[in-house]
Amino acid sequence: MYSSFTRAIKAEHLKLKRSPVWLAFFALPVISAFFGTNNYLMNQGILQSEWFSLWSQHSLFLCFFFMPALIGTFCSYLWRLEHLRTNWNSFLTTPVPLLCLYLGKLYQAVKIVILGNLWIFLLYFLCGKLCALTAPFPPQTLEWFLCGVLGGAVICSIQLALSMVIRSFAVPIGIGLLGGLAGMLLTNKGYGLLYPYSLYSIGMRANNPKMEIDLKLFAISSIFYMILLCILSVAGLRRHEQ
Amino acid sequence: MQTQNLIETTNLTKQYGKVRCVNSLHMQVPQGAVYGFLGPNGAGKSTTLKMILGLARPTSGSITLFGTPMCDKNRIQLLSHTGSLIESPSYYGHLTGEENLHILQTLKGCPAEDIDKVLRIVRLEDARKKKVDHYSLGMKQRLGLASALLGFPRLLILDEPTNGLDPSGIQEMRELICTLPSEYGITVVVSSHLLSEIDQMADHVGIIRKGQLVFQDTLQVLHSHARQQIALRTGSLAQTLSLLRRNDIEVDKEEDYLLIPMTEDDRIADLCRQLCEHHIPLYRIEKREKSLEDIFLSLTGKETSL
Repeated sequence: MYSSFTRAIKAEHLKLKRSPVWLAFFALPVISAFFGTNNYLMNQGILQSEWFSLWSQHSLFLCFFFMPALIGTFCSYLWRLEHLRTNWNSFLTTPVPLLCLYLGKLYQAVKIVILGNLWIFLLYFLCGKLCALTAPFPPQTLEWFLCGVLGGAVICSIQLALSMVIRSFAVPIGIGLLGGLAGMLLTNKGYGLLYPYSLYSIGMRANNPKMEIDLKLFAISSIFYMILLCILSVAGLRRHEQ
Repeated sequence: MQTQNLIETTNLTKQYGKVRCVNSLHMQVPQGAVYGFLGPNGAGKSTTLKMILGLARPTSGSITLFGTPMCDKNRIQLLSHTGSLIESPSYYGHLTGEENLHILQTLKGCPAEDIDKVLRIVRLEDARKKKVDHYSLGMKQRLGLASALLGFPRLLILDEPTNGLDPSGIQEMRELICTLPSEYGITVVVSSHLLSEIDQMADHVGIIRKGQLVFQDTLQVLHSHARQQIALRTGSLAQTLSLLRRNDIEVDKEEDYLLIPMTEDDRIADLCRQLCEHHIPLYRIEKREKSLEDIFLSLTGKETSL
């Protein structure tokens, strides 16, 4: 099983060669950081918590709008590779368990979320320095980063499941965008931990003045959704008929 | 010694809504054979092959590969001995031919040297670094075959592999398929709607019509149906029949004619002489030839497209 899993990961990595889709993960956080920093500088009168205030401006649009759409785009691309031509035939007749085939794709999606998050935090750090913030860089960012990856992995699971069954490239991305928007509303109403699209922004402490979350509940909710979506996706693959 | 069947299906049936695409199919593919799966377009060939590979679920019936039932539990083990090219080649167009093969070689877990070997076999060595989007249709088809050959599986399933190839490509593909059992010990199932193609490649034939297997045996047996005969029409069929039987000649009746197997000219001359001696008028004596094409059409129905 482990060998099949590593083979599936390697194969998915090879498929992504010469694919410019990762560029979006590079470009959109730059736009978000630019507008976030600009907002912070324009409103320094009310935003007085230095790094935390800057983060509130950086993370708002990024977590609720950009990241769900970005993850959606990447997951659509991952499945588009199989939706094209008769690639499903080849994909499903390889001697690799369906679970490993699914996990191979999930691995690539989570990997891009990790790299995307690293880039987001690097931009945050650089923008803070450009704004000449004097306070030390908050060590809590490591926790936000890790929680963000876990919440992002949940969005990867949903988007992979959607893109697997929907052949269209754009429709799952649209669903991701709406999912993120609904996530903001539900988080504001206090139901965020029950809603999978909210988990990324909750993990990243977006729109969260206290910067605190119930870590245990967050982890349980994230893992529950990931397992559920994994089961559903593999069942979908098993029932997939050409 | 009894030859083991690499593929055996029992009562294999596939129904989409009310339409039965495959109906109680008993397919038997012997080890080491090139099995030609012949039938008009829409007869159920691709659906059958997909069920064998686990790409479509049978409505009822069973499939055995290498003596093991094809089910979720055995799927991976059975697929590891199988290569396939279904409908049209699968490939990632933004990657080169070599990179495409690398992906499959990784998934199949076969040695990296196999990539060079299969590229050499399908003669794509010079195009290995070219993006597949820039390949011609024939090159894509050959890449599809190369992908199926990776790992040199025991069983190769090819669905209309000559589609889109030019005449020289078709010839090349046929020659290649014919050599696979002897050179690599691969059993091949190749589907086609063209009788001439199967006639040149296969040693075993299964003919499917409207989801049902209407013929399954060796190509030799199919050819034996396509024999030449002499047709006789005389003034008295009853008298002629008894005369022929006295001469130990096998006779078939067809409307006003008596059909006897093709024989030497002297024997025909002797027969004509005997008919005259018995005062039986001979109206017609004709050579009849039932071609392989006629056999195929009589099995699959003339209304279907070839």
